Amino acid sequence: MRKLFRSLQAKYMLIILIAISLVQISFLAIAAIVAEIAETIETPSGETHPDAIEKKWHEDANALQTGSNDEINRLFAKWKEEYPEASMFWVDGQGRFAAHIGVEKSLPEEWTPAYTAKFIKERYGGDPFTVIAFIGQDETNGFLVLEIPRKMFKPPIQIVNEQFGNYLLLGMLAIIFIFIAISYLFFRSIRKRLLHLQQSMTTRDEDGLPVPAAVKKQDEVGQLEQTFNQMVKELRESKHREQEEEQLRRELIANLSHDLRTPLTKINAQIYALSKEKVSEEARRAIQAMETSIRDIDRLIENLMSYTLLMASKYKLERKAVDAVRFVRESLASWYPVFEKEKFAIEAELDSFETQHWQVDTDWFGRILDNLFQNVLRHAKSGRYLKVKTESTAHYDAFVIIDRGKGMKAGSNEKGAGIGLSIVDMMVKGMELEWDIQSSENGTTVKIMKPK
Amino acid sequence: MVRILYIEDDVEIGKWVAEDLTDKGYQVIWLQSGEKIEEHLESADLVILDVMLPGLDGFSIGKRIKKAKKELPILMLSARTAVEDKVEGLSFADDYLTKPFHPDELAARIEVLLRRFQKQDEQLEIQHLKIFPKEMRIVNKKTGEEILLTGKQFHLFQFFIRHLNQILTKEQLYEGVWGEPYIEGDKTLMVHIRYLREKIEEDPADPKIIETIRGIGYRVKA
Repeated sequence: MRKLFRSLQAKYMLIILIAISLVQISFLAIAAIVAEIAETIETPSGETHPDAIEKKWHEDANALQTGSNDEINRLFAKWKEEYPEASMFWVDGQGRFAAHIGVEKSLPEEWTPAYTAKFIKERYGGDPFTVIAFIGQDETNGFLVLEIPRKMFKPPIQIVNEQFGNYLLLGMLAIIFIFIAISYLFFRSIRKRLLHLQQSMTTRDEDGLPVPAAVKKQDEVGQLEQTFNQMVKELRESKHREQEEEQLRRELIANLSHDLRTPLTKINAQIYALSKEKVSEEARRAIQAMETSIRDIDRLIENLMSYTLLMASKYKLERKAVDAVRFVRESLASWYPVFEKEKFAIEAELDSFETQHWQVDTDWFGRILDNLFQNVLRHAKSGRYLKVKTESTAHYDAFVIIDRGKGMKAGSNEKGAGIGLSIVDMMVKGMELEWDIQSSENGTTVKIMKPK
Repeated sequence: MVRILYIEDDVEIGKWVAEDLTDKGYQVIWLQSGEKIEEHLESADLVILDVMLPGLDGFSIGKRIKKAKKELPILMLSARTAVEDKVEGLSFADDYLTKPFHPDELAARIEVLLRRFQKQDEQLEIQHLKIFPKEMRIVNKKTGEEILLTGKQFHLFQFFIRHLNQILTKEQLYEGVWGEPYIEGDKTLMVHIRYLREKIEEDPADPKIIETIRGIGYRVKA
């Protein structure tokens, strides 16, 4: 049963039931109240009740002794004072229309038995309310007639209405208002909690996960909140697992590459020791070839590692505003001596762009440039020419790297170049930049573009 | 003689590097772990550290050394090439070289570090100039006269000497010497380089000491 009352559905059904029966209940309640008030209202205003008036009129008339004009006029005056709306007259023992007060209608001077009977018949239960009483103990002195307009006798319900009508109306309005208020509060509390839940769903903590919602009640919304919290918990766990896996993967790759490089370094050491010896020209060439191969393997390991991480989207990307021209110039400056050693002619035409800063990750951007320069060094050696320039059009700002090598189709004996360019491709796209490569037997042109 | 403290656990690599550096004229103390490093820190001019070591790893040892002796240059020499490793290494170390490396590159990097930390006591000869880096004295070999530089020229030349053989961009030079961000189009640096050339070059119209690398920057080559 308790569970039932926790349910929003039960509460809602209750409100609907109240709404349907509210009008009837209100009517019943008001009718009961009015009836109660009407009961109590009769006692204090007993004087105005027709029965009481009739009784009193008889008593007063019977109490008269003589039936003299004076006595009757005094009685009339006393009643007139008490009932200003009333009219009274006296028909004496001879059937003459005698003393009267407040009578407006024309009444006959002589009252025949026939007229008297007609009068009585007319007035019985009619309007005005009429009481006929004999004077004294016998009928010889004639009779006294009292007329009071019926409208003077208000039904109790009318009196109640006049006296308490406003309260009743207010009461009715209050009941309706309370009902509306209850429905409003009921709905508002649901709405508030739903909004609160929605807020919890959109708020993110430092891990980028939603924060759990506070569960206050056990109704349907409360259950929803609990389910949501359960989901957040699972999400958190899965994120944690993912991070652990990522860490493991990173660690594995790092260790693998470390373990590959260590023997490579040893081979390098032996080759270097050999090169220090006095050896034949042929042996020297072999040593040089081995040195080159070691560098190639090293680069391949590096690229393979980056490529694996990039493919699994595990390569950390932290973009920030970087002065792109300056960055490229400094990168070129660090590569300059290497190209110089290989007797390259180097041209740099780096002018400022309109928007100086690019949103890039410096590691990624540096890596892109390194890979491209390395490609020039390895595959375009024959051209002995490198040009790095900036280019601005209406659609993009770009860095252009131009060499005069034999082009990519010439097919350098190193197939590993592909992976280097794949890394460039992924990194360029990852930073929302674009790139373009054009190659002919006269050289290769690479453009790194930032769309405007 | 420059003393290099070298920590490497791999015997083959350690022996090779130690021998090569000794051949190149350095005094090398080679340790296979970071355990007894404190004894040698005082006399060392430069530390070469491997990362994967038994016991304490190279990063921890390096951080400890930097804490004790801030002015001692550290070069990390490791087969760990991940960006995270380099970033962690460079948070305290002054250079990070990955294996496999060419011994000449190692030697070149050692030279750069020694110059940057002014650990060399020998003099430097560039073209017709004889330079004493420690007290930053410049003598014209041909005339035997000392060349006196004014404040900014002195700082500029000192910056070049510390970054010998490196190409320095306008931004790097301006920020290194003036300590303020370079504003595109500012002529101050050009003016000072012209004054400096007038003092040190034999023919300022055809400078041989401060090379202009067109479109990139300037360089002083040893």
